[in-house]
Amino acid sequence: MAVELRDDSDNGSDLSRSGSPSPSSPTPSLSNTTSNDGEGIVDHSTFNQLLDLDMEDDDEFSRTLVHNYFEQAQRAFGDMDAAMSASDLLGLSRLGHFLKGSSAQLGLLKVKASCEKLQYYGQGMDAAGQHSSISNEEAENQIRILLIQMRREYDEAETYLKVLYGEQQLEQ
Amino acid sequence: MLCSLIRKMCTTSTTSLLQDTSSLQKTTSAYFNSAINTMTASSPIHSTISPPSSPAMSIESDFEDNEETTTTQPRKIKVMIIDDNSVNLTILSRLLNKHFADTIQLTSVQNSGLAALDQLTKDEVDLILMDIDMPVLSGVETTTAIRNNDSHSEHSILEQNMNVPIIAVTTSDAEEQRELYRQVGMADCVSKPIAIPKLRMAIEEAMKTISTNG
Repeated sequence: MAVELRDDSDNGSDLSRSGSPSPSSPTPSLSNTTSNDGEGIVDHSTFNQLLDLDMEDDDEFSRTLVHNYFEQAQRAFGDMDAAMSASDLLGLSRLGHFLKGSSAQLGLLKVKASCEKLQYYGQGMDAAGQHSSISNEEAENQIRILLIQMRREYDEAETYLKVLYGEQQLEQ
Repeated sequence: MLCSLIRKMCTTSTTSLLQDTSSLQKTTSAYFNSAINTMTASSPIHSTISPPSSPAMSIESDFEDNEETTTTQPRKIKVMIIDDNSVNLTILSRLLNKHFADTIQLTSVQNSGLAALDQLTKDEVDLILMDIDMPVLSGVETTTAIRNNDSHSEHSILEQNMNVPIIAVTTSDAEEQRELYRQVGMADCVSKPIAIPKLRMAIEEAMKTISTNG
């Protein structure tokens, strides 16, 4: 299912990206959150606010920011794996919170939600942030499962954004 | 001499001055000082925030403290932002520069509480936007340090900075957390992802406290 892109110029025509946009190309915007795997990857209002920070006909700011987020997320996942190996639950909680902030700023709904769960699990709380009586071992098991889910959600968001910026073709 | 000083203070050149010379008493230094004090006594530092389409907000200089100041042009709010996440810092910087350019001058971008404290020993700011969950020094701890003049170094935080309005910008925005922020001296809390109208309102309210407290 194609991602619809709206031309910010007056003609209002829909455009589909086939490659990296030049500085004169219209900036991307989201009119829906459809994807191969369903809805809810990106919050429209949040991400469009980010796109609004681009200069007219130049998406360099948002594109660079998104790539910075990709790099940040990859580093965070590496740190999470290391913390998992060391059974460092508090470290995992801090990493979850850290990535939650930037994920929230980009409107990445699923990733943000999973980061929040990681933050809570690492502190021995339940998914809603309420106190729970689970053991550290049980918390680790929950986190182990969550990290797999989070990575899948991140990959989905990354693919979506790369397609949006014309850096990847959408798989049919 | 009095008219010359008044003329310097006037924001428009079209203001007319009428001098009453009917009484010699009005040329005494006492009357001169009284006139100056009357004009400047009602000009505490104050500010309002307006959307870009409205007249820009301002912080007016205290003329009593700086008679050399000839400009009456309002100055922008000097803002420091603090966040350990570079993505968040980038977004907030850009957002302020684009949507608050008329009223705000982003003067300091810091990625830790310690760096912020160090900077506050050197430069004055009018407003701080602070992340909460940061390593080493959290936003709460940094705020407490500012209020208590604890720069974690041999230098003191500048006096004006000790009472600067601080707004938390965070995903940790539950009510009990907001209450904690208030208790340590934060003016408000804006949730991430940042909604521009809410940020604007928070800044406006925070800056009003300056005019209220004088």
